[in-house]
Amino acid sequence: MRKMLTALALAGVMTLAASQTVMAYNHEAIENAGEITITMMVSGTAYENDFETEKLPALIKEKWPNVTFEVTKLPDDNYYTSLKTKLASGECPDMILTQPMYAGQNSCYALAEAGYLVSLNDLDVVQGRQDLASVTYEGDIVTSTSGVSILGCYYNKDLFAQAGIESEPQSWDEFLEDCQKLQDAGIQPIVMGDKDQYVLQFGLYQLAANEIYPKNPEFDVQLRTGETKFTDEGTWDKVLEMYKTLYDNKYIDASMSLGYGASQAITDFIDGKAAMTFDGSFNAAALTAEGAAGAFERGYFPIPGTEGVYTATCLSAGYSIYSGSKYIDECKEILDYWQNGSSPVWHAHLDTGRIIATYGEGADTAPNYELFKPFIDLLNEGKGYYWCNQAWPAGTETEMEVLFSEMVGGQGTTVEDITEGMQEKFEDLMED
Amino acid sequence: MAQQTRKKRKGGNSSLIFSNKMYVFLIPALAMFLVFWIYPVLQLFYYSITNFNGINYNFDFVGLKNYQKVLSNGTLTNSLKNTMIYAVFTVTLSNILGMAVAMALNTKIRLKGLFRTCAYFPALFSAIVVGFIWSYVYMPGSGMIANLLSNIGMNGAAFNPLGNFRTALYAIAIVEVWKGFGTTMIIYLAGLQTVDESILEAGQIDGCTEWQLISKIKLPLISSTVTINVILSVIAGLKAFDYSFIMTNGGPGKSTKTLMFQVYETAFTDLKMGRASAFSVMAFAFIIVITVLMLLYLNKREVEL
Repeated sequence: MRKMLTALALAGVMTLAASQTVMAYNHEAIENAGEITITMMVSGTAYENDFETEKLPALIKEKWPNVTFEVTKLPDDNYYTSLKTKLASGECPDMILTQPMYAGQNSCYALAEAGYLVSLNDLDVVQGRQDLASVTYEGDIVTSTSGVSILGCYYNKDLFAQAGIESEPQSWDEFLEDCQKLQDAGIQPIVMGDKDQYVLQFGLYQLAANEIYPKNPEFDVQLRTGETKFTDEGTWDKVLEMYKTLYDNKYIDASMSLGYGASQAITDFIDGKAAMTFDGSFNAAALTAEGAAGAFERGYFPIPGTEGVYTATCLSAGYSIYSGSKYIDECKEILDYWQNGSSPVWHAHLDTGRIIATYGEGADTAPNYELFKPFIDLLNEGKGYYWCNQAWPAGTETEMEVLFSEMVGGQGTTVEDITEGMQEKFEDLMED
Repeated sequence: MAQQTRKKRKGGNSSLIFSNKMYVFLIPALAMFLVFWIYPVLQLFYYSITNFNGINYNFDFVGLKNYQKVLSNGTLTNSLKNTMIYAVFTVTLSNILGMAVAMALNTKIRLKGLFRTCAYFPALFSAIVVGFIWSYVYMPGSGMIANLLSNIGMNGAAFNPLGNFRTALYAIAIVEVWKGFGTTMIIYLAGLQTVDESILEAGQIDGCTEWQLISKIKLPLISSTVTINVILSVIAGLKAFDYSFIMTNGGPGKSTKTLMFQVYETAFTDLKMGRASAFSVMAFAFIIVITVLMLLYLNKREVEL
């Protein structure tokens, strides 16, 4: 009897231990699969010699001649619609592009909750990584991503020098002073394409990273439990008020910006018509291109806050495996090869200049690395926070943009109306 | 006689022109109609009483809650107001313009064919292309109109119709009229060509002025064409989506959010597919009611004329 009890206890301990250990996937799945076709669907615009649609399939073929890797790249809206249709019909590609937490219609949390994503806990490339919380749903890593995305302020160093500004601002007051200097020198300080209302997030999230999260990193988690609210004093009201100051002083000219699209604002910036624009690392190629003003020197800094400088830097979108795929282990092998930090696929991806890798070979020599380095340094110092909408149910940010746009457009909307509207929308979206 | 009875019992309709067997050929079309039209519409009603988010199929039934929300959260009122303004503006302008151009191009002028082609030309482009082009036409500062205004000594920099909540809806409605009036014109032109020349000549002999010829002879004779054009424009106006989506994304603020745009946003931004379905059902009912009322009124007017 004693022996039996000991055996049972031992079996229990072993079972518990096994549940804590990550089971390895079959690392030779592709080698034993014969001729197979693996499909992937991503969002974006395919360029000539595009990484996802051209280079990646070729490099996979080079490594595994028995694999045909087919990639479909669709514009964002088409991607979302197509993804939902394919998921609903059970015909989803083997791999898909997903975003961290609750961001967008391809949010990894929503897809994981619906059971569409495979756990990637056994991938080699995620072992030991501590930065994957925003792609981990109920203990399972569901998106494999190797980079970060940054929001910041691109600026024209020539125009800054012309206005007598010698260094990047280190506080909100300094930032406002610099804007005033530019305006006094007859230079439009900031251009934004507010007709595409989503660009309002580029400035507001940076200010939230400065003013809200350093004081309460759990702010968004507590929003869901009701402990915090958008209407709490000194939080979003402060952020919105600060951003409004830029419009009140015409540092951003609402009479122009509300009629400008995002791409038109980028054109104005590279044409030298404005000294700054708030945008993301994902638009670096367009913002560093040569325009009518020639190849002037550009800089990129995080908008400073009232009590220091923090950055709105988050994990970028990554790749997930569809739970209904016939080739789950094969996809894992591909992801491990792609994101191992040294493979030809890794280097080809890095060379696009569209990802800011946080590890691996060549991460510090990638295009525009110097531009992004201050942000990565801040992130390493623990002064980086995710983009707010990643923690909100989709639609909350739209309400914020709409109401802010009403306010700067002169429709009589106040900061209080915006915070109340955001809270109301948040509660409404959380209801179901 | 016995043979006839047998025939009737066997096949019923023995017409050589359209026998009962011919109904078999309706099956493919009917099946397509049921699968691709009736079934999705029924699905819409079904989803409208659920909290389906478009992704997760483990949804619950919520009764009429979605309908209550749509009615109480203010989105319906705002989008309905915008849609009505948009529809009235586009219907009025495209019909007046379409008819005026049709009348002008129905006269004996040189290069008539070229002018007709030019007037119809915008209708050939997709809404995406038109919206994109007009975004640059309206662009403040360096857009086409702003430049023209600056060149004639006016303040072109202040011209920003899409950036102003008071003008944005009218600005996109003008684009709809620009693209659509060619089609309206073609229908009017076809109607005007059915008017018998001898009636017009008789009117002229009786001393009718040009305006009297139009109001007393041409318009009454093409009243059915007017009905068709107005009804088509009303339906198009009430379904407005393209230019709000392409040119303003519903802004500034909520000033260009139409019924269809709101449905889209509720479904694909807020991920409230159930509520969007309820919204669609209500929009569907609204469009049907308006169209039927307009049709009844216009048909009555046709008879009176």
